[in-house]
Amino acid sequence: MARTNLNKLSKFLIFLMVIGILAFIYQSSKGLIVTNMRNSFSWGLYIATWAFFVGTAAGGLVVSSSIYLFKATQLKPVSRLATITAFMFAIGAMLILFPDIGRPDRIYNVFLHPNLTSLLPWDFLVLSSYSLVSIIYAYTLMKPDILKNRIKLPFIKLPEKEISEKEYRRLKEEAQRKAKKLAPIALPLAILIHTVTAWVLATQMARPWWHGGLLAPTFIAAALATGPAIVILFSLGLLGFDEKLAPAYRMLAKISALSSIILLFMYYNEFFVRFWWHHGEEFEPLKILFGKNLPLHAVEVLFLIGSAYLYFRYSEVPRKLVQASILLIIGIYAHRLLLLGPAYNVIPLKYPVIVGASTIEWSYPFALGEVKGDLLNPQKVFVDYWNYIPSIVEILITLGVMAAIVYIILKLAEYLPIRENA
Amino acid sequence: MPRWGMVIDLNRCIGCRSCAVVCKIHNSLPPGTWWQRVETIGAKTHHTPVGRYPEFFEVYLPVPCQHCEDPPCAKVCPVGATWQREDGLVLVDFERCIGCRYCMTACPYGVRQFNWQSSDKNFSQAFKKLGFSQDWFADPGYRPGYPLEHRTQDGRLVFTPKRPRGVVEKCTFCVQYVDQGFAPACVRGCPGNARIFGDLDDPKSEISRVIKKQNVVRLREDLNTSPKVFYLLPEATTWRGKIIYEKLLKVMEKRV
Repeated sequence: MARTNLNKLSKFLIFLMVIGILAFIYQSSKGLIVTNMRNSFSWGLYIATWAFFVGTAAGGLVVSSSIYLFKATQLKPVSRLATITAFMFAIGAMLILFPDIGRPDRIYNVFLHPNLTSLLPWDFLVLSSYSLVSIIYAYTLMKPDILKNRIKLPFIKLPEKEISEKEYRRLKEEAQRKAKKLAPIALPLAILIHTVTAWVLATQMARPWWHGGLLAPTFIAAALATGPAIVILFSLGLLGFDEKLAPAYRMLAKISALSSIILLFMYYNEFFVRFWWHHGEEFEPLKILFGKNLPLHAVEVLFLIGSAYLYFRYSEVPRKLVQASILLIIGIYAHRLLLLGPAYNVIPLKYPVIVGASTIEWSYPFALGEVKGDLLNPQKVFVDYWNYIPSIVEILITLGVMAAIVYIILKLAEYLPIRENA
Repeated sequence: MPRWGMVIDLNRCIGCRSCAVVCKIHNSLPPGTWWQRVETIGAKTHHTPVGRYPEFFEVYLPVPCQHCEDPPCAKVCPVGATWQREDGLVLVDFERCIGCRYCMTACPYGVRQFNWQSSDKNFSQAFKKLGFSQDWFADPGYRPGYPLEHRTQDGRLVFTPKRPRGVVEKCTFCVQYVDQGFAPACVRGCPGNARIFGDLDDPKSEISRVIKKQNVVRLREDLNTSPKVFYLLPEATTWRGKIIYEKLLKVMEKRV
């Protein structure tokens, strides 16, 4: 990417971050009432984004650790960037939880009184260890060049002396050795963060849309689709496209495209099983997915198929790669948003009521938790469906966090030796 | 140590929602928040019969917190702010809750309520929406209901009339009254005496005798949460409206 474009992008990102911070201050002063979440729909855009970030983070280290575990050496030129994106998205995943919780000032309770049967403290634990491992991994990969270029780092004191060519080669070999040792730790952790994230939702019997063993595999598939796509986008922007990088892009495109196809397969496999019986709790979420949420579902499926096609067909054309990655990211994001509607709008306290010869599913309505209507325009206080559309505040805060992640990745890439000079 | 439970007799429930209102007043619930709901089974609107002529039925189902023996909300709370006390009450510590709302996702009964904004704001909004010229009580310090804070023996804040923002709350079986030997407000306020509150571990208590003698059901038994709220099913569901009305008419004829 040209220098001026990068500067313009940075300015725009800073603008988004400032707006996001202002929106967060506004939300903190008014309370979560400014979001469109309500009692019956208790998690919204923030949690969907959290799942998306965790997936992207997991994808990053899978890319760099598979160089050593599966001997995918063609990925080497992008490995440093991949570890940086992994690190930043893991941080972002923890960051996006702050606006979601009602009392961020009490977050220390997670350390003081962790409840180990709940999966949220575990998720926090694996996410923080993952970000630690990914930053160590990134440092290990870049250490020879950091020493050679004498880049100053905070917290770490490095010797300030000229590195000879021989010493540099020795350091590189050492870095390879260490990376090889780290890879078997990094890969399982990468799988684990997204698995635990899926378990947070999949263990809930009250939510048939999530409950079950297939959620974690689909999460991993989604991670392996977005991780490479994000790496492709960043490295096309920062490293460009040349013969040395082409095999890496081809490989990443293939991983991403295959993963989205596997994702769709698992998704529709589950749907068929739910659909066949055509009644009951397992089937209810499908009615919402193919009813009110159909536009979003169409986006998800068509964009994923579109991106897979572009990735397979044009993995050598940078412009097409960018298009495919953007399609994929939107598709997976839609997939993440669809975690919510079919889960929350199927009310767990639901009974079949026999009327004449037919049965109607009757849901026990929720109290919204908001002062609604007045004497002249009475409105429903108890509802059995909540049409959740993220509020402007939610969107701005989420955009702010996204902008912060991208901005910091760009700055780190500027400061650190992300280029592999063989 | 007792193990508190409740029986709700659906034969006696007239769907008047007194329990919900009494609960709201005694626990100073902010407008918009309901610890207790009463709905007509199968109906889109409360108090409308369900079915086709001439076979109608109209059964009301009050749902307080079920105080499950195996509460999913306590299991998922990341900080242990929701827990089950030794006497079986599932309570929320207002001072520890971080407001993550995972418990609301986990609860199959939809009883958990979040303080989306400061409760004072809810009160003043409600005053305005109801057409009052002022938006607060004449006495600014006044809140309806039990006026004191209530803490458990280990000092955890489980009831306060001034609800903090950003925490989850729910029915406590009126822990502030139960700890002083009174029954919950909904039990005392029910005009049909549809509710029985008592110790499930004491075989001589009324509630234990009722549960032993009669057919009781619990909500979403399939989820194995083992609620401590039991329901006595109305005969109307098995008899189908028509017959009940006939029976009723015969009784009335005799009287006349």
